[in-house]
Amino acid sequence: MKMTQKVLIFILAVISLSGCWSSKEIEELGLIIGTAIDLDNEGEFEDRQSGIDNGNVFKLTNQLITAETANNATNGGQSQVRAYKNITETGEAVLPALRNMILRIDKRAFGEHAKVIIIGEELARGYNLEQVLDFFRREQEMRSSTLIVIAKGSASKTLESAEPTVIPAIQLVEMIQGKERSTKILTPMPIAKMEGQLNSGNSFLIQTVSTENNDRKLTGAAMIDGNTKTLRAFLNDTETEGVTWIKGKGKGGLVRSYDEEDSQPIVYESLSMKSKIKPSVQGDSISFTVKIETEGRIGEHWDISGKAFDSKYMKKAEKATEKEIERLVKNVLEKTQEEYKMDVLGFGRSLQISHPQVWKKVKNNWDETFSDIPVEFSINVSIKEMGTSR
Amino acid sequence: MKMSQIKKKPIKSSTMKHEKKNEDEGPYELTGEIQRDLQLFKKEIGHNSDVHFREFNIGLTSIRAVLIYVDGLSDKELIDKHIMKSLMQDFTDAKGDGRHEAKEKFTVDYIKSHILSLGEISAASNIKDTVPQILKGSAVLLLDGAFEMLILGIANGKTRNIEEPVSEQAVRGPREGFTENLSDNTALLRRNGGTEKLIFSKFIVGKRSNKDLIVAYIEDIANPAIVEEVKSRIQQIDIDNVMESGYVEQLIEDNFMSPFPQAQNTERPDRVNAALMEGRVAILLDGTPFALLVPVTFSMMLQASEDYYERWISGSLIRLLRFVAIFISLFGPALYISFVSFHQGLIPTKLAMSIIGTRDGVPFPSIIEALIMEVAIEILREAGLRLPKPIGPAIGIVGALIIGEAAVSAGIVSPIMVIVVAVTAISSFAIPEYSLGISLRYLRFVCMFFAAVFGLYGVILFFLFISSHLVKLKSFGVPYISLAVPYRLSDWKDFIVRFPLKVLKERPSMLHPKDPTRKG
Repeated sequence: MKMTQKVLIFILAVISLSGCWSSKEIEELGLIIGTAIDLDNEGEFEDRQSGIDNGNVFKLTNQLITAETANNATNGGQSQVRAYKNITETGEAVLPALRNMILRIDKRAFGEHAKVIIIGEELARGYNLEQVLDFFRREQEMRSSTLIVIAKGSASKTLESAEPTVIPAIQLVEMIQGKERSTKILTPMPIAKMEGQLNSGNSFLIQTVSTENNDRKLTGAAMIDGNTKTLRAFLNDTETEGVTWIKGKGKGGLVRSYDEEDSQPIVYESLSMKSKIKPSVQGDSISFTVKIETEGRIGEHWDISGKAFDSKYMKKAEKATEKEIERLVKNVLEKTQEEYKMDVLGFGRSLQISHPQVWKKVKNNWDETFSDIPVEFSINVSIKEMGTSR
Repeated sequence: MKMSQIKKKPIKSSTMKHEKKNEDEGPYELTGEIQRDLQLFKKEIGHNSDVHFREFNIGLTSIRAVLIYVDGLSDKELIDKHIMKSLMQDFTDAKGDGRHEAKEKFTVDYIKSHILSLGEISAASNIKDTVPQILKGSAVLLLDGAFEMLILGIANGKTRNIEEPVSEQAVRGPREGFTENLSDNTALLRRNGGTEKLIFSKFIVGKRSNKDLIVAYIEDIANPAIVEEVKSRIQQIDIDNVMESGYVEQLIEDNFMSPFPQAQNTERPDRVNAALMEGRVAILLDGTPFALLVPVTFSMMLQASEDYYERWISGSLIRLLRFVAIFISLFGPALYISFVSFHQGLIPTKLAMSIIGTRDGVPFPSIIEALIMEVAIEILREAGLRLPKPIGPAIGIVGALIIGEAAVSAGIVSPIMVIVVAVTAISSFAIPEYSLGISLRYLRFVCMFFAAVFGLYGVILFFLFISSHLVKLKSFGVPYISLAVPYRLSDWKDFIVRFPLKVLKERPSMLHPKDPTRKG
């Protein structure tokens, strides 16, 4: 009996003394859903006097959702008040900039719903991404599933929208989900994966977004140098398509080719794709064979003669598509091997897996070595169907 | 010290009573003089206006006789049309040997074996002992000159017809429910599970009420240890009156401090029959339509008889649904509180955005908001229960629609809170065992406090507390959360998923039945 009394008193004490410790109601939060980081070289910086001046001035823009803005979004959005709130602050590093924001908002900024971090072009070119992203990797409140995107031009501009009800950060993330149906979008790069890439020392690609008239568009990819961990160059849409085909990391997507006879376009829609990079080592010489297999259907064909439904003609269409894919992949390979001398396509990784000993030797100067390695393509397209009605 | 004192007292008084009874034995025995005996009876129960003393002469002879019965408890039609008629017909001619001889022939035995064609008839001589039987509906026939009287079992009080059980309705299954009449109830059981091994053993409970209580079990299935335990606990009941089987339940349960019910109550005979077939013991009490089933486990409370009547897939899915309901009913508001005030990162972003929007302007923290709504809905439920039938639905509309709607538009609570509370309330009614539903309902409040103080950590802490209590709890020697702990895979055939009847070959092994297999 006495034991139970003691336990009861203990429980009561724990409950009443602790109160609602660490509880914060959801409406008192400002959900950070997107963060844009830019270099700010024009703005004045008041904290210059502080001892930690290293000459950097970051401009951080957080996209917040607070009780007021969320209400606007849920009330049908007829009001001209925006469904989000962008707060911009500057600081000599990411965290100081974030903390400076406390002076501007009444809500407690809450990072667990962060969807996307957008890094401005200028910053990415000039600074080591490992250093820039250090805060996000340390902070417990940040999700490691937050996506990283590189902006062409200013990053903070991508977080602005013309329509008040559209929330740019969420829209951007949902656009990246469109990857299922397009080869022009790269596999998303969350912080967790980014960390691995940064540590591996390999070069890699990050999705790029550009802004025009307050409208976002996914445009190609940014090539990050594995050694300096900075942005080297951009790949355009077509080159990004080639990347997706080489990596086989896509599902749907179109390939436009031309009918040799009447030069009408044939549009092949891929339904599944697979690729395998196969390294072969003979002595000192390394070579790669990339095997690409895809199954799909004819999505559109501007031929009116009816021959498009002849099975012989199917073979021809398959050939034409294979040729076009080959052109795409060779195009991007040429660009990376010759123009930039960077392996952003994952050849090094496959060599590392199948020939770890060889990799150890070539590892340090891989990007240079890669630019001279011959790559063969074997592409196999099979058209399974030609559409519904005909 | 105190305990022992209390214990000693009743023993003392009972021995005293016993001695007294021995002394008084003489006056309560029949004397053979009808007027004196009648006086004795009248002294005992004559002051009651509902006791009738009908004096008459046996069929045209000079033999005086008295029939004593209680108005409304005995079958008046039987008395008028059968008993009185056959006793008052002309016996002189039939006998043919004169009136004087007839008097000698008219013994108690003669009436019992030749005149009254009643099934239930017995002779007795002690007045004191017969009085309780009269009060239960038997009639007593006193005969002049006889040292014995006849007790005629013609009890037939007005009772309710057998109707559909109100508290446990089923779409499929028998429409019969127990009534307040014990013999009707045993008859229902006997009719549906009529094996000779179905044992009804009778007990009298309540010092003043002397109510009949029947312990029913199937002799060659039920574990004798459990049967003995039930019987001995019933014998230990020491109370003046048991109004309802709830009294019995509370007096024989293992742990009266536990929030969980340790006996199952049901109005459905089919449910009792099914339980008996599993090797459980049923307790039926006179005067209540609710039978008790012991031992009970947590999982049994989540089973309804329809689970077995429907085909196994639908039965299993409904059972799964019930597990979901029990989870929501216990944790619903607590999870909402912990998500909204501690773990906002665990809510999907778009939901978080809409919660933020709806909670904007709500002046209370979520725990207060939840308490307001939960208490309101409990009051509504209680009010709806006690109200006269025609007003009930009106209260439902006023409560649920108007108050809910007004509270939201006034900004006192958020609409999502209303949804959470409503879903939780509905879930708690989806539990087939009403008493378990109540338990979960008040445990929910405890859980909400844990959530408000510690968030999800508190909810898990609460779950651990409850689990540790449940693991310890037993119902008549059977662990309360059997199936899960102790773990018996063979019994899982009838747990979350109800396997096809063809596969359910064994009875629940946690009850250790004498006959472990149902078939095959």
